[in-house]
Amino acid sequence: MGHVALRGLRLSAGARTLLEGVTFDALPGELIAIVGPNGAGKTTLLRAIAGFVAPARGDVLLDGVAVEALGTRARARAVTLIGSDAAAPAGTAVREVVATGRFAYRPWWDWSTTQDDALAVESALERVGLAAFAERDFDTLSSGERQRAWLALALAQNARLVLLDEPTSHLDPRYAQEMLRLMRGIARDGTTAFVVLHDLNEAAAIADRVAVLGDGALLAFAPPAHALAPEVLQRAFGVAFERDTVAGVTRVFPLASA
Amino acid sequence: MLASRRLAGRRALTFAALAAAVPAAMVLGLFVGGSALAPRDVLAALLHPNAGGDAGAIVWALRLPRVAIAACVGAALAVSGALLQGLLRNPLVDPFLTGVSAGAGAAIALAVVAGVAAGFVPAIGFAAGLGTALLVAFLARRGGGVDPERLILAGISLSALFSAIVALVLVRLGREGGDAVLAWLAGSLASRGWHELLATAPYALAGTVLAALAAPSLNALRLGAGIAKAVGVDIARTQWLVLGAAALLTAAAVALAGIVGFVGLIVPHVARRLVGTDARASLVAAALLGAAFVPLADALARSIAPPTEIPLGVLLAFVGVPTFLYLYLRPAGATRLWGM
Repeated sequence: MGHVALRGLRLSAGARTLLEGVTFDALPGELIAIVGPNGAGKTTLLRAIAGFVAPARGDVLLDGVAVEALGTRARARAVTLIGSDAAAPAGTAVREVVATGRFAYRPWWDWSTTQDDALAVESALERVGLAAFAERDFDTLSSGERQRAWLALALAQNARLVLLDEPTSHLDPRYAQEMLRLMRGIARDGTTAFVVLHDLNEAAAIADRVAVLGDGALLAFAPPAHALAPEVLQRAFGVAFERDTVAGVTRVFPLASA
Repeated sequence: MLASRRLAGRRALTFAALAAAVPAAMVLGLFVGGSALAPRDVLAALLHPNAGGDAGAIVWALRLPRVAIAACVGAALAVSGALLQGLLRNPLVDPFLTGVSAGAGAAIALAVVAGVAAGFVPAIGFAAGLGTALLVAFLARRGGGVDPERLILAGISLSALFSAIVALVLVRLGREGGDAVLAWLAGSLASRGWHELLATAPYALAGTVLAALAAPSLNALRLGAGIAKAVGVDIARTQWLVLGAAALLTAAAVALAGIVGFVGLIVPHVARRLVGTDARASLVAAALLGAAFVPLADALARSIAPPTEIPLGVLLAFVGVPTFLYLYLRPAGATRLWGM
């Protein structure tokens, strides 16, 4: 469970076409990194996969069912998206933030909290290493801890597809590594994950496959060693890249233009 | 888990204290009024409802409905403010933002000019307030829902227009007829009775039900529209529920007491500070706090300079605003305006 199929997707922003002809399959438990220049449509693609925006053409299928056809709560039990604009008001405890992930597991007007909800929240906090922070004001967390709390919300939601928009931006190397490790972990447990990353080497280090967006299209969808080829990256970003492999991991570097 | 149990215990205690404050404030209100009644007589009238006499009439026909109305108005405005602040994720929003007060004010001013019988004025205010809120929501709609920025802009614009109508009417009326309009604008609970309370109760009740339905969604919405959507909140439905609830509650409050400012802006802040940002908890806390606060303020308004009454809205501004400024604009409190 967690098979994602994109079929001839066209995404537009107003009259402008952002992406055209996006077709690929992501398998259950795969970790897919999405990279591309600013404005390439990375976030829009995530929102389309989450069913937030309707594609101008084509389909997003989750385990063979069109995401658009799912009801709001049924969709939330299947797929979740943590955007880069998520924020909690001061005075909100970390546990309350994570517990929000349980919204779709009871009627929308229901005020109650079940034992299942409590267990899912505790286990999600445990998995991201925030169990000791449960009562802390979300506002007092560091950026790295906040990202882990958002990931815990997604875990508490228990969706089979998790979409993360730039979870490692603004994080120092240690916290970024920790986030990447956690994302690898949820994929290993069978959840399909899409993650938008700015750092190409982070994508190379953790992704099963990398989707490179640019030029209004999907330029590559392949394991890092192939997707992050210099000619693909040059077409996407408009600068030259050099690639080498260290200990089996692909690394790419933009070349300073003369 | 231990810490969480301690927090839960503290929250339960807070709710118990708030729940006790409501009847306490109402009872206090019974002992205050234009006609000097000894506390003993008030008690006797309360304990023997059928004994009759002047004290009985004053307590049962004047003071009791008045404190009940005060509590309802306080709860309605506080809940309405909490709903809108939550929906728009903006701590500066108050229930009159949707144009309810300005629309009601303009309609009441025009009704007074037209010589409508005083008994019909609250109903006209209610209808106009509700109508204005609907018009503002209609102007602000986008997609299936409402755009928060457009809502604020439409509310402010229409309010300005209706305030201009009120000003025009006041200028044209001069001193005589203007007083009736001004009494409404300043907010007052004078000469309201059971009849007015019963007439508005169904609408306030409907608003309360809508608010209760919206609370879990509003709770998710405090993390932003993106997260709310991701966890399964129907944003458009939440917006219409909240706007409907806020419009009904505010219009009912305006019909009962005129324009009582400040409560809808400030009480939600205090409620969140007491019980946290959970929408379910803070809505209930706001309701209780408003229901205790307004009867208390009304008792004060009646007892500062008897037999004259200070308009409730004026008193609330004089007492409440400095308190609020002290609480929230201290350097340490400044960054925590939204939330606790």
